[in-house]
Amino acid sequence: LRGNDKRSAMSEKLDKHILKNGMVILGEPMEAVESVAFGFMLPAGAALLPEGCCGAGTVIADWIFRGAGDKNNRELGDALDGLGLHRASSVGSSHITIGAALEAENIAEAIKLYADIILQASLKEDQFELVRQLAIDGVRALDDAPRQKVMLKLRERFYPSPLGRSTLGEIAELKTLTAEKTKQIIKNNFNLSQTIFAFAGKYDFDAIVSQIKNLFETDQQEPLKSFTLGSKAGKYTHLRNDGAQVHIGLMTETVKPTDENYYNARVAVSVLSGGMSARLFTEVREKRGLCYAVGAQYHGLKEASGIACYAGTTPDKAQETLDCVMAEFNRLADGISKEEIERAKVGLKSALVLQSESSSSRAGGIGSDYYMLGRVRSLDEIKNKIEATSVDSVLGFLRNNKFKDFTVVTIGPKEVHPPSADKS
Amino acid sequence: MEFKKKILANGLAVIGEINKSAKSSAVGFFVKTGSRDETKQINGVSHFLEHMLFKGTEKLSAFEVNEAFDRTGAQFNAFTGEENTVFYAAVLPEYLVEVTRLWTGLMRPALRDEDFNIEKSVIKEEIAMYKDMPSFDVIDRCRSLHFDSHPCGNSVLGSEESISNLTAEQMQGYFMRRYAPNNMAVAFAGNFHWEQICSVVESSCEKWQKQAVSRKLEEVPGSKKKKRVEKSNLVREHICLMSPAVSIQDPRRFAASLLATIIGDDVGSRFFWELVDKALAEAATMQFGPMDGTGVFCSYIRCSSENVSKVLDTVQSIFESLSRSGITEDEMRTAKNKILSALVIKNELPMGRLIDLGANWIYLHQYRTIEDDINAIKAVTIDDIHSLIKQFNPGNFTQLSIGPVKAS
Repeated sequence: LRGNDKRSAMSEKLDKHILKNGMVILGEPMEAVESVAFGFMLPAGAALLPEGCCGAGTVIADWIFRGAGDKNNRELGDALDGLGLHRASSVGSSHITIGAALEAENIAEAIKLYADIILQASLKEDQFELVRQLAIDGVRALDDAPRQKVMLKLRERFYPSPLGRSTLGEIAELKTLTAEKTKQIIKNNFNLSQTIFAFAGKYDFDAIVSQIKNLFETDQQEPLKSFTLGSKAGKYTHLRNDGAQVHIGLMTETVKPTDENYYNARVAVSVLSGGMSARLFTEVREKRGLCYAVGAQYHGLKEASGIACYAGTTPDKAQETLDCVMAEFNRLADGISKEEIERAKVGLKSALVLQSESSSSRAGGIGSDYYMLGRVRSLDEIKNKIEATSVDSVLGFLRNNKFKDFTVVTIGPKEVHPPSADKS
Repeated sequence: MEFKKKILANGLAVIGEINKSAKSSAVGFFVKTGSRDETKQINGVSHFLEHMLFKGTEKLSAFEVNEAFDRTGAQFNAFTGEENTVFYAAVLPEYLVEVTRLWTGLMRPALRDEDFNIEKSVIKEEIAMYKDMPSFDVIDRCRSLHFDSHPCGNSVLGSEESISNLTAEQMQGYFMRRYAPNNMAVAFAGNFHWEQICSVVESSCEKWQKQAVSRKLEEVPGSKKKKRVEKSNLVREHICLMSPAVSIQDPRRFAASLLATIIGDDVGSRFFWELVDKALAEAATMQFGPMDGTGVFCSYIRCSSENVSKVLDTVQSIFESLSRSGITEDEMRTAKNKILSALVIKNELPMGRLIDLGANWIYLHQYRTIEDDINAIKAVTIDDIHSLIKQFNPGNFTQLSIGPVKAS
């Protein structure tokens, strides 16, 4: 038993246990719910894959569900469905997360099945071909979803390689991916020492710990695979698509979640795009009618972070939209009113409480906190940190951290001209 | 959970389900009006009007409205469908009164000309945005093909043309006819004080005038037409299938939702095992869409152009096997577990609960507890499903696909 801190002073508590091999178990009990949501965060995200295997994460997240333990593909699917669980798998830059939300009484059965999926997936060759085909089709289908595609391409070009690698994959690399190679990736990357198992809702912590111990505890400790950061791609990229709109993605660097200015950055983004009275919505949509969809979000990875903005508009308005969006970024440091800061803070605090009612959001929240910060922040801590920001602290931060380089990607029938951007 | 209701003299229904253990509250205005209540000339007006409500009242400008909501930290928005326009907010309990006051004010909007003209551009951008989302576009077009000339097939967004031609006077007229207190309900869910919130609604809304409102209800068998649309920028084939189903008032709606789960849930369904698991299609789902007096089963499938005929043959054989041999005990049990757990999870959030609460009132004039729905789902038998398949034959559908230009 390496640590089992239960916090009582806060409005919510955290249950924590670390296995001998380093696997972390985190739980947040929630009163008033009958459900539980869980996620296994496996260190096999897109950035951790070997070169030339872009898309292997998507393949793995499907393949491991096609038979495990003593169950074949169909039997495993039926067993999961029979528990009435709602599966949620995702492939991110750092992790493949597999999990579900379900009624609390079925958690032990569900964990048993997920242990088989993680430790004893059948990984049959014939299933591999189907999974790879689906992954390739998924990338092709992205051409019919320019709004999603522009944001994927944006992250790819904004982050230094390999952080922004497409989580869906590249067709050429998927085509050369083999079952052997993929098995090797699973073997190397499903590293229990670096795995986080997070859940929230209604549960019996001691029962879950003893079950997870039985299933996952080993004596081996393995370090996380490391990677070196490469360069960023060009500043402006246009992809031609004769659709109805030009889809504009724009991203610029900001501080990471571990930075002391993190909350100043979050409040700044909220002033820009928190609610409907925020700057982007007001200037781009309400005053000028340029867009239906426009907004910016903080996007944080452990190694680098940015503010990502999306705007979709018809071709004739594309340049004006881009200019208007960039002008709002650039004039943010010029001045922010006290009322704007107050609205941004209330919005962030309220979103925190509203999300805390959902077992899925909480399970995701505590898992990602632990990965990013090495600890889980209480809601009170976050609230206090938001509360501590002010006009001066946010402006001070913005003036010392001027938005410099913007990475811009557009998809649509017409190109735009970002100021002083080199085209790649 | 405790249910409360009050019907004001002008017909406005105020309903609430109190959950003292919730950390938030949700409020929603449910207006029984949508694209099916429009004529061709004013197609898109319900949705456009939904946007215009946010533009303020005689006393508040659009920016002041947005500011006032944002000061409370509310997560607020609205959506328009074929049959309803819903305005909602999820908020911390201490701000509920303020947010409710805001909504009641906005339900009597100023509809200023200058706001109308700017918002017209935003609506046109929204129409353009959905054109670039073929998975939505295909369902919209298929609905119109299925319902043929029936107003249930009207597009929610309207067309570039109908929106260009729409006038502020036409919108004003539509508003007067449809936003009558007896054609709407205001619902609350989560943590709130009933007497307090009820008096806020009463004092703000009691002067609204009752109107004669109606909607013609009929069962629509659907056209069963087949059509393909080509678009040069697309790479995948997007297919929508639509067939008639029971209405939202029909007690068999629970059986219909189980049937759609068995056929087309995103995992573990017949579509999943026959189409997605075998990599013939990357997406294949079916949903039951209950409506006022009618209903549809609606499927969406996405695949490569090469796989289209194989996919459609497989779909046909899935429907044939259902007609011939019905469903299994296992399928029934699994579908029930999935729907029951989804119901429990959704209702844990006041915002999730609000939607069911409001919809049950609008369509059924009834309060249903979560347990009522759980019991109704548990009570469905295999025979119920089989008689639905027999009566509605989901294999006989309207079909619309959008895909790339075929090489000749």
